[in-house]
Amino acid sequence: MTEKFKVLVVDDELPVCKSIASALTSKEYLIDTALSGEEALELQEKKHYDAIIIDLMMPGISGLELLKKVKKNRPDTMMIMITGYPSIRTAVESIKIGAFDYIPKPFTPNEIRSIVTRALTRKRVTQKKVEESRFLEDMPVPEGLYTIPNNSWAKVEDDGSVLVGVHHMLLVTIAKIAAIEFPKVNETRYQGETCVRIVESSERLHRLWTPVTGKITAINTKVQDDYSVLYKDPYVKGWLVQLTPTNLDVDLKNLLVT
Amino acid sequence: MLKLRLPLSTKLIFAFSLVIVIGVSISTIVGIRLIGNTILRQAQDKVRLDLNSAWEVYNAESEAIKTKIRMTANRFFIKEALIGNNLAELSSELQKVRRDEELDILTLVDTRGVVLVRTRDLKAFGDRSTDGIVDWVLINQKPVVSTQIVPESVLLREGEDLARRARIDMLPTPKSRPRDETVETAGMVIKAAAPVHDHTGALLGVLYGANLLNRNYAIVDRVKDIVYKGEQYDELDIGTATIFQDDLRISTNVMTIDGKRAIGTRVSEEVYDRVMRQGIPWVGRAFVVNAWYITAYAPIKNIHGERVGILYVGMLEAPYIDLRSRVVFIFLGIAVASVLLLSVIAYFTTARISGPIRELRNATRKVADGDLKHRLQITSRDEIGELSESFNRMTVALQKATDNYQALTRTLEEKVKEKTEELSAAQDFLVQSEKLASLGKLAAGIAHEINNPLTSILINSHLLLERTDKGDQSANNLQLIIDETTRCSAIVRGLLEFARQTPPEMTLVDINEVIKSTLLIMDTQALVHKVKVVKKLTKDLQHVMVDVNKIKQVFTNIVLNALDAMPEGGVLEIASSVSGENKEIKITFRDSGRGIPKENVTRIFDPFFTTKGTNGTGLGLSISYGIIQQHRGAIDVESEVGVGTTMAVRLPLYPITGDEKEETRDREV
Repeated sequence: MTEKFKVLVVDDELPVCKSIASALTSKEYLIDTALSGEEALELQEKKHYDAIIIDLMMPGISGLELLKKVKKNRPDTMMIMITGYPSIRTAVESIKIGAFDYIPKPFTPNEIRSIVTRALTRKRVTQKKVEESRFLEDMPVPEGLYTIPNNSWAKVEDDGSVLVGVHHMLLVTIAKIAAIEFPKVNETRYQGETCVRIVESSERLHRLWTPVTGKITAINTKVQDDYSVLYKDPYVKGWLVQLTPTNLDVDLKNLLVT
Repeated sequence: MLKLRLPLSTKLIFAFSLVIVIGVSISTIVGIRLIGNTILRQAQDKVRLDLNSAWEVYNAESEAIKTKIRMTANRFFIKEALIGNNLAELSSELQKVRRDEELDILTLVDTRGVVLVRTRDLKAFGDRSTDGIVDWVLINQKPVVSTQIVPESVLLREGEDLARRARIDMLPTPKSRPRDETVETAGMVIKAAAPVHDHTGALLGVLYGANLLNRNYAIVDRVKDIVYKGEQYDELDIGTATIFQDDLRISTNVMTIDGKRAIGTRVSEEVYDRVMRQGIPWVGRAFVVNAWYITAYAPIKNIHGERVGILYVGMLEAPYIDLRSRVVFIFLGIAVASVLLLSVIAYFTTARISGPIRELRNATRKVADGDLKHRLQITSRDEIGELSESFNRMTVALQKATDNYQALTRTLEEKVKEKTEELSAAQDFLVQSEKLASLGKLAAGIAHEINNPLTSILINSHLLLERTDKGDQSANNLQLIIDETTRCSAIVRGLLEFARQTPPEMTLVDINEVIKSTLLIMDTQALVHKVKVVKKLTKDLQHVMVDVNKIKQVFTNIVLNALDAMPEGGVLEIASSVSGENKEIKITFRDSGRGIPKENVTRIFDPFFTTKGTNGTGLGLSISYGIIQQHRGAIDVESEVGVGTTMAVRLPLYPITGDEKEETRDREV
């Protein structure tokens, strides 16, 4: 039997902690909970967690501070930020500091499981250079893109519209794509909100964050028909949706520029 | 002191008139005096000459007597008779001579002065002549003539009738010197004497003859005839002559009122003093008997040089006075005519002066009343012309200054207004910002607080669902919980987006460019919707100060709503224009969509109001409304079901905050 993954859930609200712990409870995980940053720091000193789920907004030591400290102590620990305040700026900032990804509240058990799985997979990829990494691992992100690292990218087209796609590191960390749930044309998506859901063959659900607020104007039917396009060319032909931005300039400032 | 308010023209006319009257009066008075005096002086000069003429007549008379006596004395028969002592023949011959020569007296005396023959009274002889003339001839043995006063006794001896003729009663005469006597008994005669010599030249005697002047009018009448030619004026002789014995008029042609010769009247004391007492001739005005005369008096002397009487000539003053009056009259006429003429000239001159001054005054009043555009017409090149010109220059300068001042005031007012608007805008903006900030904080707090329980609910309901059989009723219930929780989550996200705080980035832009770039993004969408987009953009619109991204967001929202309203296609017309008296830019979006029911028109900007069901959050137009309000603009909606909807966005043309305005200015500079 393989060693269980040690996961720590940090949230100042006990029900949230418990709920997340419940969602993740399985044979694969050993789950601890902490109700404050201080407690979490203590625990992570004793145990070497594979992943820590951190609420960004906490009294005392904040989520970001905790992230910084853990990153310093245990650089290999994957950290997933959760927030009740889905501000992409804070989220992107946390990713810049070293978080793996973030997930806004509220989320479903599948979503949290997926992201944890993805994080652990990513950890494994980095550590062991497993086969699954395939060719994508060393792929550079093309210049001129705006990204939410490990998650999505946005490209401003000449006609003012924005193409949104999946970050190759997300593809690296998930199993074979079983389905992609596209948004409907005409729907408005706000920055930081779920844009596309990617369902693994293992039925895990991954969210692709909307990098730029806008109204969906088109979806890439070629990808819809053949997911393999994503793996071959995630940054050009593998775009997922096209949207009309409503607040482009402000939104772009919250993203990382490649 | 009460000051009489007189118009300038009146004052000028008054001054002119005063000058004219004074000038004309002085010249008239001086002229009259001058002319009057000249006339009188000429009259006096004439009288002085007339007196000389009178003297000629008088002397001629004297010389005539003297010649008669001298000729007679040389006659042969007198010598013969004297030598032969033939007195009887001598008497008869001499009597004949006296009658022939019209002498009053003709008397012969011997070398001792004893009367030999007295032709007027032959019986009276043998007496010693007391006459000074006879004595003088006896000594000098030359003929002589002289005027002499002869006392009554002598007259009586020469002839009683002579004494009677000489006797004159003195008449009371005003202004004459006081005299005790009332009658003059002595007579005044012109007496000539000549020596009678024998053949050897020895003196035989003296012959003397005389004419009594008393009541003898020959001389005076001859003077009148010769000098004045008997001219008359108002039935009075113009010229008169008189011989005075002392001061008594003894021979004259001056008439009294009753037409008689004024014998017996006397000369005025003033004349007497001058002529008789001082021996100086008198020339001047004098009142003679009953009228004013221009007179000349000169003393008559006897052989010893003693003043014994006065020779007088006089001209009636009246003709000269009348002449002078006529001259004065003519002079006054000329003066009056001059005054009239000068007054007319003065009137026109005054009008020429006071006219422009009056205009100047009116112009000054107009300027004082605020009419700075009034200009004077310059009609002359004199001081008034210069004054008018100066006045015009002054009003021009004044107008310029006033214009500047008004412009300054206007600018100031505009600036104050601008600043006030800016301040008010800034304040509104601040209030709005604070509201939004509070709302944002509130929304963030709510989001955070609600999302936590939502997380728990969502996770746990999912977990429950996972353990529940799919056909179970509980599964449906749980799914309902999950759906509703998800919807809650969406609402919270919308709220956060609505209250999202992003600092405005105001820039000055051409709104047409914003519209174009918005449409560029939308073109694909429009094609998909089979909507034809028509642009009616006004060129060269004034730039507006806006947050371009937010305005784009608003336009996009509106356009997307319009496209949604036309699922079967249609026309979207987008127009830009200036409205509200250049105070704002108006952008209208007219679609041919399904329209909004009346009851919903007022609600479309309400947060969470949507007609798209779960496809919309109901926040798009609310956010747009908030953005336009931040820009101090407005969104108007007009809609008719089945026809279409028109959304009009109005953006003000003045900047929202002062700082940004300054930036704009700097950039413009």
